[in-house]
Amino acid sequence: MESKTVIDIENISKIYEMGTQQVFALRDVSLKIGENEYVALMGPSGSGKSTLMNILGCLDTPTDGKYLFKDENVKEMTDNDLAEIRNREIGFVFQTFNLLPRANAVKNVELPLVYSGMSPSKREELAEQTLINVGLGDRMDHKPNELSGGQRQRVAIARALVTNPAIILADEPTGNLDTKTGDEIMILFNKLWQNGNTIILVTHEEEVAMHAKRIIRMRDGLIESDTENPHFKVK
Amino acid sequence: MNIFESVLMAFGSIREHKLRSFLILLSISIGVFAIFGAGTFVTAIDNTVQNEMSALGDNTFQIKRMPSIQMGRMSRRKYWRRPRINFKQVEELKQRVNLTPFISTSAEGGGEIIKSRYISSDPNVSLVGADDIYFVNYNYDLQDGRAISSADIEYKRNVAVVGTDVIKKIFPNLNVIGETITIKNQQFEIIGILKEKGAVLGNSQDNQVIIPINLYLKYYADWRLSLNVTIKASDKVNLDKTIDQTIGAMRIIRNLKPWEDNDFELETNDTISEQFSGLTSFLTVFGMLIGIFTLVAAGIGITNIMLITVKERTKEIGLRMAVGAKRKWILLQFIIETITICQVGGVIGILIGLLVVWIATIFTGMTLIIPIDWISISIIIATVLGLVSGFYPAYKASKLDPIEALRYE
Repeated sequence: MESKTVIDIENISKIYEMGTQQVFALRDVSLKIGENEYVALMGPSGSGKSTLMNILGCLDTPTDGKYLFKDENVKEMTDNDLAEIRNREIGFVFQTFNLLPRANAVKNVELPLVYSGMSPSKREELAEQTLINVGLGDRMDHKPNELSGGQRQRVAIARALVTNPAIILADEPTGNLDTKTGDEIMILFNKLWQNGNTIILVTHEEEVAMHAKRIIRMRDGLIESDTENPHFKVK
Repeated sequence: MNIFESVLMAFGSIREHKLRSFLILLSISIGVFAIFGAGTFVTAIDNTVQNEMSALGDNTFQIKRMPSIQMGRMSRRKYWRRPRINFKQVEELKQRVNLTPFISTSAEGGGEIIKSRYISSDPNVSLVGADDIYFVNYNYDLQDGRAISSADIEYKRNVAVVGTDVIKKIFPNLNVIGETITIKNQQFEIIGILKEKGAVLGNSQDNQVIIPINLYLKYYADWRLSLNVTIKASDKVNLDKTIDQTIGAMRIIRNLKPWEDNDFELETNDTISEQFSGLTSFLTVFGMLIGIFTLVAAGIGITNIMLITVKERTKEIGLRMAVGAKRKWILLQFIIETITICQVGGVIGILIGLLVVWIATIFTGMTLIIPIDWISISIIIATVLGLVSGFYPAYKASKLDPIEALRYE
């Protein structure tokens, strides 16, 4: 059964002007990602995976081509529309966590809700519930510097989850973690997928990509391969 | 996301960046303090002096050698050449001006020591030489005894009218009519006690001793002294005529040729308050200028500090954008942050200003007026300053590319 399409890009290109030269970061890339997929976007640096991730995450728009996000045309969107769609539909998880250093875990998780206009009491409740869901129920009042790397990434994941977004976009989520903690985070992503979330994992590490169900390999701004991962396990 | 939350966020950020906040607060406070302090102080002086001057009465004017308030060096040289006004000239003036009988003269010296048979006063009592009309012209009321009479002048009687502060200092009680006081080896009999009036600009009017003008000139004045003449017209209608007659008489007395300027000064309440408002507006402008320069410097400093802040928080801005902050919210956040911190600085400046003005009023005996208008002006200035100096950094923050900002280290 084909699931509902969340991301639908067709022949998109991204061209950067470097002086007089035009550099193709992406060439005619087409891709569909459906609801509750678990995708790894893989490739070495310079392969265009970061550019693709930024476009998928609505931080950037393609130079050419078509991008439909839940049937909405992203290419024609203004900065404000993009901000809204990021706020509503996309949860970012970064390699360096990007937490506000002076805010505690709850306040960090609340941040997207602040911009969606939710009332303070409601968003606090939601943030606390989400922190419990990622296993940080006992760390809510801790500031980032009082948390371990793994715990920080859990806070960041809770922040990505709190708006109940259409996709979670994780950029090298284990890059700053040791192997054991990284594995724990990958188990958490697996659980999130089981709960029905759509996850896009961006990485250059084969080992990390192996956690995903579908692996898209990129090279030189093109999709090299797009295959199901035979080694995928439900954890 | 509303304004209230932005303000809360701003306070959080103020607490988080203590040094930065302190520097901004300091510069704003100084600027607002300069403007607020000058404004309030001038208002206070104005009020006090207006009250004081209306005591003189509308129909009264003065003849003096030099104007009460002088500004600038050039004018001083001109005034110093003028001949002094002596007692003989005053007596002649009294004969020549027939439109009003209220022509008084007085002279005042610095601090004197007044002795009773018990104790001496501090050397800060002002000794005034005056004639009988002086008490009329200056509306002096006595709470006991009588004023100096023309007979006292004529017969050169050693009599004195004394202020209550002096009496309290050198006598055990206020029952002192007929007592003797000694001023520089001259003895005077107390014939009257002045009604308590309170202090004006730090001069207590109750801390004075008034003796007959001719005795004052004989014992306490030297050749440098020039008398002041106070003339009260019989009514408002006669004021201009009386002024004209007085000027004519003075010119004859002082042998001025028709083409020569007056070599004396004629002051009415209006001319004094004119001179005075010249002085106060000078003070106001001076305070404003200092304040404005300080605030401009502060504004540039704030812009700088906020630019650094935006740079430091580039990654945070990128994150906020990634999780859905629109550019206008980023703009608003930084502007509100700057305005908030400027307003806090403004309030501190106002508090310091109030404190200084309050201390000043204690020392000068002026009444403290809480200047609502200057408080609002100061707050508005601080707000506008925050808006102006915060706009460019905030604009820069709002124009950051979220991808670049997230990658910023």
